[in-house]
Amino acid sequence: MAAKRVAKSSIDWAALAERVPPHQKGQFTQFKSKSDLYLRRVLANPESPPAIDWAAYKAHVKVAGMVDEFQKQYSALQIPYPPDTVSAQVDALEKEIKNDIAKFKTESNTRIEEYKKQLAYIASLLPYDQMTMEDFKDSFPEQALDPINKPTFWPHNPEDQLDYVDKDAPADEH
Amino acid sequence: MLSRAGILSGQQCKNIVALSTRCMATTPATSTSADKPSQPAFQRPVRQQPGKVRLGFVPEEWFQFFYKKTGVTGPYAFGIGLTTYLVSKEWYVMEHEYYNGLSLLVLCIIGVKKLGPAIAKYLDKEIDEYEAGWNSGRESEKTALNAQIKEEETHQWSADGQLMLVAAKRENVALQLEAAYRQRLMNVYDEVTKRLNYQVERQNVEQRIAQKHLVSWVVKRVVSSITAEQEKQNIDKCIADLAVLAKV
Repeated sequence: MAAKRVAKSSIDWAALAERVPPHQKGQFTQFKSKSDLYLRRVLANPESPPAIDWAAYKAHVKVAGMVDEFQKQYSALQIPYPPDTVSAQVDALEKEIKNDIAKFKTESNTRIEEYKKQLAYIASLLPYDQMTMEDFKDSFPEQALDPINKPTFWPHNPEDQLDYVDKDAPADEH
Repeated sequence: MLSRAGILSGQQCKNIVALSTRCMATTPATSTSADKPSQPAFQRPVRQQPGKVRLGFVPEEWFQFFYKKTGVTGPYAFGIGLTTYLVSKEWYVMEHEYYNGLSLLVLCIIGVKKLGPAIAKYLDKEIDEYEAGWNSGRESEKTALNAQIKEEETHQWSADGQLMLVAAKRENVALQLEAAYRQRLMNVYDEVTKRLNYQVERQNVEQRIAQKHLVSWVVKRVVSSITAEQEKQNIDKCIADLAVLAKV
């Protein structure tokens, strides 16, 4: 493209920096420093070189015709804008990235659906303050008291039952 | 308690029926799924406020019952009249136990009014902690799931940032081209001005040297043309001038 671009960055670096995940911040700072380097190189030279004062030179330089020769050639000179060879690669990269993002989003959305389903399941459970002891037995069969099959003494904790073996007790004494 | 008499009135009737029958459904009271249309869904009883009473034991419904006929003061007048009748006709005998009961009543009222709120708060706190302990598992799972959902959404948002990155890369390419172009322009300008300036400087130097040479040559000729007697005249004039100056 022959158009010259403006000499300032049109990228919102703050917004871009927000989106960088924490484990890629190092890469991002490297990239930004490179971009800043390019910008600095652009700003090192003015957009167009200053005009040459041909009249003054004509007055001072005694060599015959030199200034006229220079002026003619200088104004006829066309400096070509450097050709753009890598934009195609950037476009291909963009397409690839779009595909990757779409794929990631679908996977991520399925995961979100799964989480939402689990949340719905939890919300559908009977709240504890509305449970009766029967409901408790239905929900937690192992923890509920079972006086018919496994009767236990009050207070129905393991330490007070007959077959409790204390781990910290000393070994059997005679 | 007299409030039990008010149980069969009003909306408490349905609740007693529900409490006395065993609930078959294990879905919560606020469940929205209606997948048991065959049997009428027994609503699980949810904790309600106790019936409103005045003076601690007289149900509000009785006052409403009286309101139409006798207005606001009706029940009170009725109560005062009834007690006066019972006491004056000695149907309600005020004997020893009555005064014991009265003192006990006063002490009970004082106790409830003073200690009631504090004890209620403490007991409620204990109950809340107990409930929270049971609910903590579900709550933590809910927060974890919500956090995971949030994280997934943030990841998606971050992924969109890659497109901004591509735009930044494009701009980098353009910046590099621009930098190279400007470099070339400045190169040309520098070369041309260098050559022209060189010519100008050469002119100046030549002129300066020529001038200096001419001046020194002229001075040399003039100095050498001063004869001896001109020198002597000059010195005499200088001495005369000095004498004049010294006199001043």
